[in-house]
Amino acid sequence: MGALGHKRWPLAVLAVIGIGLILAPVAFGMFTKAPDGASMMTSFSPFMTRHRLDGFQADMRDIGNAVAQGQQAIRNTGRTPAGTRSVARVAPQFHAFARQWQGVNSDMGGMLVKIKANLPNYEAMVALPNFRLFPWFFVIPGVILLLLAVAGLARAAAWRGLRWVAVVLGVALVLAPVAVQMFSRAPKGAQMMSTFKTIETRHHLRRIQSYFSEMAVGQGLVQLNLIPALRHADLSAAQIQTRYPALNTLDANWVHILNDMTPMIATMSNNIGNYQAISSLPSFRLFPWFFELPGVIVIVIALLGYRRRGRGGAERKRGGLFNPVNQGVT
Amino acid sequence: MTNRFRLRLIAAAVSAMAVPMVAAGPGLAAQQLNGVFHIGSGSYIRMGLPNGGYFANPYSKDSNKTYTTILSGVGGGIRTGVAQKAPSPAFSAHGNSLANSIITPTNFTGILFGVVTTVPPTFSVSGDKLTGYLRHLYAQWNKQSFLQGNVAYGTYNSRTHQYALTWATKVVGGPFDGYTGHWHLQGTFSPSR
Repeated sequence: MGALGHKRWPLAVLAVIGIGLILAPVAFGMFTKAPDGASMMTSFSPFMTRHRLDGFQADMRDIGNAVAQGQQAIRNTGRTPAGTRSVARVAPQFHAFARQWQGVNSDMGGMLVKIKANLPNYEAMVALPNFRLFPWFFVIPGVILLLLAVAGLARAAAWRGLRWVAVVLGVALVLAPVAVQMFSRAPKGAQMMSTFKTIETRHHLRRIQSYFSEMAVGQGLVQLNLIPALRHADLSAAQIQTRYPALNTLDANWVHILNDMTPMIATMSNNIGNYQAISSLPSFRLFPWFFELPGVIVIVIALLGYRRRGRGGAERKRGGLFNPVNQGVT
Repeated sequence: MTNRFRLRLIAAAVSAMAVPMVAAGPGLAAQQLNGVFHIGSGSYIRMGLPNGGYFANPYSKDSNKTYTTILSGVGGGIRTGVAQKAPSPAFSAHGNSLANSIITPTNFTGILFGVVTTVPPTFSVSGDKLTGYLRHLYAQWNKQSFLQGNVAYGTYNSRTHQYALTWATKVVGGPFDGYTGHWHLQGTFSPSR
């Protein structure tokens, strides 16, 4: 009975590990959260390029330059008799917008810097296997391990061969994170998730939406109020272009800025739930270890079981015990 | 079955039938309106901000920039029994809506928005109370569609054919998530012959 226990406990442990691997994705809600994460990564892909992020920063610069030159234009032209009549009327609204812009530029500009800094982290994350597959990376080895353990428990003789399948499975679990560079990529993913913690929130989205509203009002002020006021102050279109080119640049680029920024805000908005789902999973840093640890345990137990059986065999040879044939003979 | 139980059963059945008849009221049977609701002067949309207040559209023709005024498009307004869908393509390269049947595409922050219906709307009038079933109405702007449909309520004068309708719909998802479109349409109704 004691020797039988020796043979069976490694199999029981392997069965427990198998069940653990099968249940882990269920316990973490990975079957729903991982596809949400995959959706988020796909949605972010058009925006997470250096070219696109540079473009957003250029958009912000266009607005910032227009604000600065608009204030300059008001200062310069507001002093003239013609300017006093026309430009001075726009000045209070424009100055109010300029003050708002400082906050917008600081927050949104800062957000873009953070996102850009996380571009390598995002690239590392998308280089990992598709998130939708992640639950299966646990379930499939878990099922194989459980089947091996059950087969070994049902037919002790079969375990001698099956043990090597378990060893191979353990090695695969150990090597998989290395093969997909999970040790370097997963911590980068964790870093990106940490950065987006303050970005992908409903509260932050509301702020970005209000910035969008403020920028729209500001652009309207430039195009519909300030430039006409400068014209009334006896500045020709050519003079405005020469002295305050940023005003016309904003006007010319505004539709492009809207085309650029609105989908970004939409993507931020539509992925808040996806971000929350994926951020409620265990830290990405831990993911390699979810494969390494079971893998090492499986290898050790499968090999340990072999040694014990070998020693047991020697004992059987010495004492002729626990051998049903010998027992039958004696 | 006892007589008392039988009586209770009959009383329950009678009251179940009577309640809706009383609620409908005498002479207020709803009548379906078929034709075109022209979108006239005084019609507008306001975008309510999630945290209160309204979005100011610098390009609004109204002195109060939180009101973006709208007028009928080439289709004359909202047609009953017809889905006035988006053309193909629905947008210009700049994101201006090309849907010009219901309203004339109107400037919102520099880009034109249009309105489409994907399912034919229906309208009914009961006395002077007008109800519009506009659940599948979308605003299109900057290459995006925003569900803005709902059940609209208002008034209808059967003598002058003047109508007014109001409804509000909260935007879910997208760049205007949490905003509420407050719509007000008014004008004349042309019944179909």
